[in-house]
Amino acid sequence: MLFSFFEWLEASALGVFVKDQAATFAIIEAVHLMGLALLGGTVLAQDLRLLNVVMRDVPSNVVTEQAHRWFKLGLWMLLGTGVPMLAGVATKCYHNPFYWTKMIALAVGILFVFTLKQPLLRGDHASLKPVTLKLLALASISIWTLVAASGRWIGFSG
Amino acid sequence: MNSALLQFANWLAEQSVSIDLHESFYLYNWIETTHVMTLMVSLGMLAVIDLRLLGVCFANVPASKIAQRLDKPMLIGFIVMLITGLLLFTAIPVRTTQSLWFRIKMILLVAACVNAWLFRRKMVEAAATWDLEPKPPRRMRIAGALSLALWSGVIITGRFIAYDWYDCGGDNPAFVDWAAGCLAAQ
Repeated sequence: MLFSFFEWLEASALGVFVKDQAATFAIIEAVHLMGLALLGGTVLAQDLRLLNVVMRDVPSNVVTEQAHRWFKLGLWMLLGTGVPMLAGVATKCYHNPFYWTKMIALAVGILFVFTLKQPLLRGDHASLKPVTLKLLALASISIWTLVAASGRWIGFSG
Repeated sequence: MNSALLQFANWLAEQSVSIDLHESFYLYNWIETTHVMTLMVSLGMLAVIDLRLLGVCFANVPASKIAQRLDKPMLIGFIVMLITGLLLFTAIPVRTTQSLWFRIKMILLVAACVNAWLFRRKMVEAAATWDLEPKPPRRMRIAGALSLALWSGVIITGRFIAYDWYDCGGDNPAFVDWAAGCLAAQ
């Protein structure tokens, strides 16, 4: 059932468009990497601030609030380029364990950010325990590192 | 110059470190993965600084503060990029030396560094006059936009190295072979 969806996606207009020319896929891939730089940069700016590694003299509430806006743009860039990339090689991805690792990690990452991390960080950080802030930061770095690394490995084992 | 570069690449390719890197599946791919993931540290921090220079984020924090505080993680990221990049070159020296995309990437890289060096100096000199303004002066915004554009070019051409378009020995226009410095095909 699920596999037929992947077959349909690859045969769809989007899949055909991406596969038709090798350059299309490569350009989408490059924009995907720009999204990675933006998402990763804004995640690390927030998390390293919460860990007291960078920007210690800028209030952490300001850092997470500002960086989260651009995190969302990075995430949209990645999703907007990731879906066409998947469409181009959907049936290959279906059989690729790194692809599924990435998708699960990505789902966890998105849920973590929007249902736990951001709701907690929207309030005054002084009202949270320092250990809570640090654990949020460590969890965030771990999950997004896993998403990025397993994403890169989709290409090595295809 | 092309023959000297090729001679060096040929010599490097015969060294055991190059052969070992090239033949090790996990080592090579993890170096590649580290190179890509460090984008988040190097260009990620750079993007935050450039977006501040464009006046679109951290408007309530002085621009010089953002730039100075994120300098160090950014440079650490660049050092990791440089080391992993050198290792990737060491693993595949001959093809990379004659890669059109690699050559364009190196030119863009130099241009991006020159831009960063020039505008960083100007920024420090002029910081007192506009530092607290949410929207920096025009030339600062131009420098920030130029930086983002150049580094985007570095990402695109870097990613394209992995494809075999315009590899030497292919059916290329003469100017492409000239720009890529193709010698082996002759």
